[in-house]
Amino acid sequence: MITDQTVFATSAAILFFLGLFSMFYSRNLLKTIISFQIVVFGANLALFSSGLGHASNLMANTLVLFSIVVGAGVEAVGLALIVLVHRAYGTLDPWKIKRLRH
Amino acid sequence: MATEVALLLCAALLVTVITAIFSKSISVTIIMMFYASLVLGIVFTIYQGVVIGLLHITMFAGAMSVMLMTVVLMTGESKLDIGNRKLAALLATITILIVAASSYSLFSGASSLPQSTPQSTESILVFVWMFRPWDLLILIIIFAAAMIGVVNLLSKEERA
Repeated sequence: MITDQTVFATSAAILFFLGLFSMFYSRNLLKTIISFQIVVFGANLALFSSGLGHASNLMANTLVLFSIVVGAGVEAVGLALIVLVHRAYGTLDPWKIKRLRH
Repeated sequence: MATEVALLLCAALLVTVITAIFSKSISVTIIMMFYASLVLGIVFTIYQGVVIGLLHITMFAGAMSVMLMTVVLMTGESKLDIGNRKLAALLATITILIVAASSYSLFSGASSLPQSTPQSTESILVFVWMFRPWDLLILIIIFAAAMIGVVNLLSKEERA
């Protein structure tokens, strides 16, 4: 039997692992931050779907609220670091940056 | 709410995210992430999470999209090198199939279990719920600290 909770939980798992896959596979730091955003989306959807079966899902909503704010803060700091990296090395390719360090 | 609506919304979410991952242009990626944020906000809103839905749309579809565009303008990066596209698509398809099959069997089995929570977990949830205003205050402090960090990082070079 397919329920809303099952659909959301399955989608959340797919989003989470797609984000992780893209994070490890990408050759651009901007893409890595966008992949992190996808991972946060998956985590938010999983937290939200965990409260769907219950009469009151306020607790799940509180956790999603926390996750949204923390995710946005981390992403903002990551983007600022990307700007600094680009100023210092002139590229956003992590492999080139690794070579330029030596 | 009918399950078809949930299926439709999740399909839209996955399609936008997959397009964002495999796009070669950064502008297309940002536009697709904007739509993905919008769809996720709609999911939250229509399933009785209006506050978090609106916050999600404001934060990710609004602020984060603008920040991503600003960073793209500052760095001048417009193309995304995703390497061997066919290999990436194959690996992503395998990931989706494995995760979908395993998580569907896991969650459909779990939904038939009784929904009672252990006493210890329940007491923790009550504790967290009682101190919710403090939780909101902590959120504001975390976000303010992140913003101060961003301003500090971006003004570092100018001072030097």
